[in-house]
Amino acid sequence: MEIAVSVIIDTALITLTLALAAFGLAIIYGLIGVINMGHGAMLTLGAYFTWAGMGIGIPFVLSVILGGLIVGFIGMILEHLIIRHYYDNPFDTLLLTWAFFLVTTELIKIFFGSDFRTVTNPFPGFIDIGFYKIPTYRTAISILTAIFISFTGFVFFKTTTGIKIRAMIQNQEVASLLGLNISLTYKLVFSFGCFMAGLAGGLVAPMVSVSPYMGDMYLVRSFFVVIVGGIGQILSGTIAGSFVIGGLETIVALFSDQVIAQVAVFLVAIIILRVRPQGIFSGK
Amino acid sequence: MANSKIIKNITGENKAALIIFILMGLLPIFVSGYIIFILPQYMLFGLLAVSLCILWGYSGIISFGQAAFFAIGAYTMGIVIREGGAINTAYIGIVCGALLSGIVALIVGYFLFSVKVRSTYFVLATLALSIIVEQLAKSQKDITGGWNGLFVDRITLTVGPFIEFSLFNDIPMYYFVFFITLLSFILIKWLMASKFGKILIGIRENEDRISALGYDTSFYKTMIFAISGLLAGLAGTIYGTHAGFVDPSLARVLFSTEVIVWVAIGGRNSLIGSLAGGILVASLSNYLNSVTPEYWQLIIGVIFIVVIILFRGGLAGGVEKTYEKFFR
Repeated sequence: MEIAVSVIIDTALITLTLALAAFGLAIIYGLIGVINMGHGAMLTLGAYFTWAGMGIGIPFVLSVILGGLIVGFIGMILEHLIIRHYYDNPFDTLLLTWAFFLVTTELIKIFFGSDFRTVTNPFPGFIDIGFYKIPTYRTAISILTAIFISFTGFVFFKTTTGIKIRAMIQNQEVASLLGLNISLTYKLVFSFGCFMAGLAGGLVAPMVSVSPYMGDMYLVRSFFVVIVGGIGQILSGTIAGSFVIGGLETIVALFSDQVIAQVAVFLVAIIILRVRPQGIFSGK
Repeated sequence: MANSKIIKNITGENKAALIIFILMGLLPIFVSGYIIFILPQYMLFGLLAVSLCILWGYSGIISFGQAAFFAIGAYTMGIVIREGGAINTAYIGIVCGALLSGIVALIVGYFLFSVKVRSTYFVLATLALSIIVEQLAKSQKDITGGWNGLFVDRITLTVGPFIEFSLFNDIPMYYFVFFITLLSFILIKWLMASKFGKILIGIRENEDRISALGYDTSFYKTMIFAISGLLAGLAGTIYGTHAGFVDPSLARVLFSTEVIVWVAIGGRNSLIGSLAGGILVASLSNYLNSVTPEYWQLIIGVIFIVVIILFRGGLAGGVEKTYEKFFR
């Protein structure tokens, strides 16, 4: 029983952390169909901005928010200068966002150096529930992730903005005939996705070593989260996908090592991609 | 008269290929030393670029996994030479490495194309393939040497029981790689000009139409992916013995990306452009790396963006336009 509870808690924390990392990607891919290969670089940027912010004495929470905003702004510039001209061609956006990743990684190396950086954990310590100690910080960001996703769900399904965005996905032409500004909506969605990526980067920074390549690890995983969960299923899909990818990795790692676990997860993801390309939980 | 007619019938691209191969063939007469040592490596990178060109330029499939096939080839070569054998390990290494890469590509290709997985998903699957191969190379220490990599001897070719041809020195190695490159290039060129190649171009332009004409498009896509893997693996085996050392960084995603950059800059629709792109951009990277270690990747990245946005034909497209402007 106690083992079961600790495994459930562990899986929940891993699922939500992964969902946080993948959320920005799910928004951009699910809503406007852009494969943002720069997602990993945006996470890394968020982490570095948080590190830099704390370096000049800004408190952690504020640094993370600022970092997210700056990354969102960078995303907006990227969208305005390049991406918006290539919405019709998914391969070009894929390559261009990948080029963004290459250039950004190099700029990070030039400005911040290649050494590992550490961001001090703002909530060290554990929540002791008797038989198991839950790390406080991971609990905090898991709860935060749940709030983010619920909030986005609220905006998406209960507000006028959400209705407009959903109208745009369903039928662009009719939506624009009804007076919806498509290009502005695309820009906002893209920027919001980048903002979420930057925010996620800042939030995971205390749990990992910050390095120019830290985002790489999250990039492919995030993609699989999105594909396994089902594209367009931004809320439930992201959680479900994270649960499969993160949960599987934890379980396999219990029986073998971390590397085998990662390989196994990728293989399973490729198999899911073939057998159920629409995602495991979506109806059709 | 007859002669000039033949020359006229050679297309611009073939002329460029002829010039490039003649230059490379004659180069060892004029220069020696480091260039002769390193150029074969770039020729193999050129072949790797060609292996992507037949996918991306001809068939409209982008692969982020070319480095994985290259690495499979190189590791196979290293392992075969290490284990030794009764017959000449050189041939076994080359054949096994190329075949193994080809088979992996065939399986992955069949697995995904047979259910018509979206082309963007395919990209992600190849990305994952790269990571899987890299992780396996790192973790299976007993087979691959793990992080430390694997030392690979230079091979010796034998013909019959008496004739031996060691590739230990740079000049024999240079010509060996040169002929492998030339031969592979001609074969690929022929294949792409055949009906098979034309169907692939058709798939790139309009897959539904080719499918409606009665061709099994997933068969063609699977085959070209397998051939591409085979070619990348072949280049990898010889790279292994040429470089003398194989390590997990060969399979990393960043290396696959470099291949994409070479092909984009060289010209994705042109075989010779891709080959030249591989050779030139890899040399340029190497040069820039020694001049400005901090900025070279940034420079290459920026060139990549500019090429995608402004010069979709790459170097080959640019040369073609200039040629038509001044010589027609």
